[in-house]
Amino acid sequence: MEKIKLNIKIFFEGAYLSYVGLFRWLRPSTYLATLVFSPLTQMLFFVLIGTFAQGNDKAYFYVIGNALMNAAMSGIYGVTMSIGGDRWDGTLPYLFGAPANRMTVFLGRAFMHILNGMIGVLVGLMWGWLLFHIDYSATNPWALLLTILVTTFSTAGLGLLMGCIGLITRNVMFVNNTVYFVLLVFSGANLELATLPTWMQIVSNYLPLTRGIASARLIIAGHGLTEVIPLLLEEFGIGLFFAFLGYSLFCWFEITAKKRGTLEVF
Amino acid sequence: MTGWQNIKANLRVIFMAFEIEFRQSFTDAFVLFGIIVQPMIVAFMALWMLKDQVAHYAIFVVVGSAMTGLWTTLLFQGGNSITGERWTGTLEPLTCTPAPLRAVVSGKLLASISQSLLSIVFCYTFISLMMGLPLSIAKPWLFAGSIVLTVVAFIAFGLIIGSLFIINPDVQRFQNGLEFVVYIFSGFLFPIALLPMWTTPFSYILTPYWAARALHAASSGTGSNGEIYFCWAMLILFSVIYAVISKFLFRVILRKAREDATLNMQ
Repeated sequence: MEKIKLNIKIFFEGAYLSYVGLFRWLRPSTYLATLVFSPLTQMLFFVLIGTFAQGNDKAYFYVIGNALMNAAMSGIYGVTMSIGGDRWDGTLPYLFGAPANRMTVFLGRAFMHILNGMIGVLVGLMWGWLLFHIDYSATNPWALLLTILVTTFSTAGLGLLMGCIGLITRNVMFVNNTVYFVLLVFSGANLELATLPTWMQIVSNYLPLTRGIASARLIIAGHGLTEVIPLLLEEFGIGLFFAFLGYSLFCWFEITAKKRGTLEVF
Repeated sequence: MTGWQNIKANLRVIFMAFEIEFRQSFTDAFVLFGIIVQPMIVAFMALWMLKDQVAHYAIFVVVGSAMTGLWTTLLFQGGNSITGERWTGTLEPLTCTPAPLRAVVSGKLLASISQSLLSIVFCYTFISLMMGLPLSIAKPWLFAGSIVLTVVAFIAFGLIIGSLFIINPDVQRFQNGLEFVVYIFSGFLFPIALLPMWTTPFSYILTPYWAARALHAASSGTGSNGEIYFCWAMLILFSVIYAVISKFLFRVILRKAREDATLNMQ
């Protein structure tokens, strides 16, 4: 019991401190620029291309897709920087020297970014309502919240894996940006998956976000939670898979780095 | 030093800064992402979204996507052209050398923009070879002329962005968001007529807008020669205006360096 209590404490303290550490330079303007202004401009760009091509009636498709992409922004960039930051800031030896449970420390890094991502998605949907008059009247709000939570979790799972890659490469931003843009194409945020070549549809099936976006579109169109539960379970499973892969890489990295004395080698 | 010797000395500084920046940034994965990966992904998405919706859509997408690569490189490489010196601790020595800071930064910007022209080549190759779409430039000489003026105009714009970022770091916090703002206001991949009327003056004062208009018109053949010459005139006019403004901004930077001695502080 004591051990469980200690691990919970480490989880939340680690989550909070890594978040504070990441945004130690934070001012409200920085937060607004990163998590409100930047996603808004990205959404506007793709919605405008989409409506230019297919008319204003299709705006909802791009608004929902790009609002959900905000989950990836927090999940991938935020989580990666939280984990990779330990290497850049020179705190990795202390982290690996501590007796704290690795799983708790590792998963704790994603916690605040999941909340952050959820806020980002809601803000994105709000922009859709304000600027493009997207109708949410048929939406079951709890089902939508659950969808956003699961989607943010699954992208954070991918972020945990990318963060570990950040521990072994110097070009983590190149990898992150590429993964983020690949998600833009393959997740169905901006393209109808059914119109893509078969191989792309197969790839999109193994990525986070794909089912989350599909589920959000269904819920906003008026479908019930029971209809999207299978999609959400698969989305959750994909997130778990990536988080597990990330954790395995994290453990491998710790063992290898300790053996070779390469903890902070760049 | 006579006027001619002065010009020769400045050209030498520009060339040296160009060479060093060119060599350095070609090994930067972030730069390669901006020049190669991002424009190709944007091109793929835009192709899929605009398919059969716009006349000459393939060449329209090549030019529009390549422009996103040019602007992204200018914003991040050009925007950080002076800030980067601050990060590496070389800004103060640089301001104390007899070589004009503006000439050094111009050389760096020329290198970044020259590299980013590769995004046109990559987008062209990607679309014509991999997607199997026929591409031809309707007015090649006018297109080449537009490219030259675009490079000049982007250097002038980069001088303003780089100096603004160093004078007021708060502006730089919006760097990520500014990427898509200019994509939108410059009509890279959709006409600015889709935007509210009040935004049009913002488009008109942006050289990327005139550059995109000239390049689209010359490549697709949708604009008359007169329209292209008009865009060239606007590019030249705004380049001169930007150069004058940047001269003032660089004076502010040098004064801060000498009076406040806070230039190297983040």
